[in-house]
Parts: sequence; structure tokens; C-alpha cells
Amino acid sequence: MSLIRWNPTRELTAWPQGVFGMQREINRLFEDTFRGGMRAEENTGKSFWTPAVDIAEQQNEYVVKMELPGINKEDVKITLESNVLTIRGEKKQEKETREGSYRRAERSYGSFQRSFTLSTTVKSDRIDAFYKDGVLTVTLPKVEEAKPVQIEVKVK
Amino acid sequence: MENIIIPVADVYETAEEFVLKLDLPGVEKEKINITIQPGRISIKGEVDTTHRDEARLLLREIGLKTYYREFNLGEGIQHQAARAEFEQSVLTVILPKTDAAKAKIISIR
Repeated sequence: MSLIRWNPTRELTAWPQGVFGMQREINRLFEDTFRGGMRAEENTGKSFWTPAVDIAEQQNEYVVKMELPGINKEDVKITLESNVLTIRGEKKQEKETREGSYRRAERSYGSFQRSFTLSTTVKSDRIDAFYKDGVLTVTLPKVEEAKPVQIEVKVK
Repeated sequence: MENIIIPVADVYETAEEFVLKLDLPGVEKEKINITIQPGRISIKGEVDTTHRDEARLLLREIGLKTYYREFNLGEGIQHQAARAEFEQSVLTVILPKTDAAKAKIISIR
């Protein structure tokens, strides 16, 4: 059994036209398959979900933002190992939610894990993370030699 | 350009009330607007985008957005007694049932 997250925005967009529309449909297919919310694993009985992420590259740092509504920050673990940043954790289902009779269940629960390979080395001892308004923000400062250096070229 | 996103929601029913739970990550409590009228509830939440720099994004799944969602409500809800809580970016709206709508337990003689 698998539950695929209902993507409400899909119904709002106009019917795809031409090649670009087809591209969009293909993208949607991949999104549904690879990051489509909750998926119940038959063997383990655990469910997995994929929180949405923004990654920004500034001159001096990377800023990773992850949407984690309804999670305790104690249940999130961030690791950096040879330039691979991994954010993993578990969202536990609230107790009272399990007892009612459901009309609609779209919110995701269970374990999540996402890893990102950084193209430049960061200062592993200076990584900062905070959780505010349901969004986790991780700031990873680049090491000095990784910052872009401007080289002046003289025209002879 | 403003991007309207329908937030994911759980809706469930207990003997006494209906409960709506919506994930609104990135929204401050003050930026949530709930309107209830007979037969309908609408919920809007605005994400603070003051410090965003879209141009520098390597990966963009969150993006800029405003959450908006409406639900049709059946009869048997006490609109005046509705209440809402917001904790860890999860909005919980509790809609108590009228006495007439509550489940009755019928004992067997």
C-alpha cells in the first residue's frame, strides 16, 4: 500500500500546452515518485516523507532552509561528513490525532533524511542551525580559499 | 508574483468536535487569518519574504508563497465556539458540534 501526497497546486495550473507542458508533466511525474510526501513501507511499517528545501549560495556561506512543521527540534539531527550535509529526523504523530475518525489525512509523519553535497569546503566548526516558525535554517560558512577571488587581467 | 499554495491538512472528527490541522511552515502567528461563516471556513497565512534573495538559490522547493485554503462545513457546528491554536507551525482549528449533531449512545434495554 502506498499513499501519495495530494498535490493541490496541480489542479490550479492550466492544462499543459505543447512541449513545455509536456516537460512540466514529466517533472511532475518525477516529483510524485521521488519526493511525494508520505510513503508507507510495507516491510518496516515505518513511513517516510521528504521535507521541502531551499539552498542559497552567498559569497561567504551556504544557507539551507528546510520546512519542518510540527517537529521537535530535539528530533532533528544535522551532520556534515566530507562535504555532505545530512539532515535527518523524525516527526511523531500527535496522540489525539490517532484517535479521531479521519476525513482527510494529507500531513506527513515518520522519518525523513536528506543529503546534499557541497561543492566547496565549509568551516565545519562554525555551522549554525536554528528552528523558527517551522523552518530549519542551517548556515555553513565557506573556508577562505573557497571564496571567489577576482583576478585582474591586464590588457596589453 | 504571489504564489498561492494550498497547505496540506488533516481533518478528523471526534464525538464532540471537528478538528482541522494545517501545516503552515514559515508563517508567523500574527500573519494567519481565519474566517468562519455558516457553511464555510477559510484560512490564509502569509510567509515573511523580506529577507529572501531568490537569485542566489541553488535549489528551490520552498519558494515564495501565501497559503490559502477553504473548507465546506456541514450543519451542526457551533461557529461562535470555534477556537484555534498555533504551535510549531501547525494550525489546529477546533469546531465544536452542536448538541443535535453529537453522536448519541443508545443503550440496549
